[in-house]
Amino acid sequence: MARTMRGNPLLTAAAALALLAAGGAGWGGWSWYAAAHDESAAYATTRDEVLAAGEQAVQNMNTLDHRDLRRGLDTWQDSATGDLLAQLTGGRARFERQIQQARTVTSAKVLSGAVTELDTRAGRASVMVALRITVTPPKGAPAAKESRMLGELTRTPEGWKLSALGQAPVGNTAGTAD
Amino acid sequence: MKGADRMRIPTPAPRASAEDAAASAGDAPAPAAPARPRARSPRAPRPWTAVALVVVLLCGGAGLLWRAQQLTGEPALHNRALSDTEATSRVADEVGGALTRVFSYGPGDTAATREAARRLLAGTAARQYEALFGQVEQRAARQGLTLTTHVVRAGVTRLDDRGAHLLVFLDQVAQRAGKPATTVAAQLSVTAERRDGRWRIVDIRSR
Repeated sequence: MARTMRGNPLLTAAAALALLAAGGAGWGGWSWYAAAHDESAAYATTRDEVLAAGEQAVQNMNTLDHRDLRRGLDTWQDSATGDLLAQLTGGRARFERQIQQARTVTSAKVLSGAVTELDTRAGRASVMVALRITVTPPKGAPAAKESRMLGELTRTPEGWKLSALGQAPVGNTAGTAD
Repeated sequence: MKGADRMRIPTPAPRASAEDAAASAGDAPAPAAPARPRARSPRAPRPWTAVALVVVLLCGGAGLLWRAQQLTGEPALHNRALSDTEATSRVADEVGGALTRVFSYGPGDTAATREAARRLLAGTAARQYEALFGQVEQRAARQGLTLTTHVVRAGVTRLDDRGAHLLVFLDQVAQRAGKPATTVAAQLSVTAERRDGRWRIVDIRSR
């Protein structure tokens, strides 16, 4: 008698707890599945990856030290793919000579950047980056200037890389409007 | 071995159980004694498996919930820039339009520009604009200055229901009476807030 009295509520409590635990696990599993397979979540994550990759690549492409040309240009090539990489590879020897003669040190700081287009399926994106470029000539004071650049990124097995990069033109819009 | 087993098992085993039974029968909690060994031997693995199962379920469930929370709580997800295409292009259009409007004026129509600024700007941006616009009006009148602003590219960096951050590249064409026009590039970080269904610029920083 004493045993059944003591055992039943315990058993009921245990069963309830087990049910609750199973329910909790089910809920957890469902929430996790929903969160992990949320397409817009994946898109948002990719957007942030693209921005980080784009800003870094644009900074890399505006950084060059004539004393360490080889590493600088290797970094350029690592940041690029497609047409841009082909241009860099093709023009590398000529560019090396130019920088060796100019003996400049160029560094860049990204001020702000934004992704303006992102097609995750095609693996293409566009970014805009505002940056400050500082050029230090062999003699004389460093000169800083603000620059604005538009880049296109392409997804590669090694991550997002720049496939096109250029200054955002100044005065083009004015010409068409006036 | 077999012989030894056969020899030993029949004799001491019944004796030991008989002794046990006699000892327990003599003790005070007599009814509990036979129940205990009976309950333990067949049921012993069951409560522990059940407890382990519950613990595993609880831990697993909690772990998954925590991971789900982590995934949905990521700052990337609260930012709907680009992922909400319609809202993104809308805020970009409205903010671009507002910048074009408040940074475009001629010597004769500064009052209209100021009026537009009151509608399109708020907060810090409105205060700064008010503070500067007096000088701008005077200069526009004195130099016959016409300023025309064009949006080259606008990108939304952050977007949620109430606020947005944008990076905007502008061209500003300044035309002074009798002089050729000069174009200046401007890069602005803009903060906008949504009030009554419309985006208003609350902060403008030059980049």
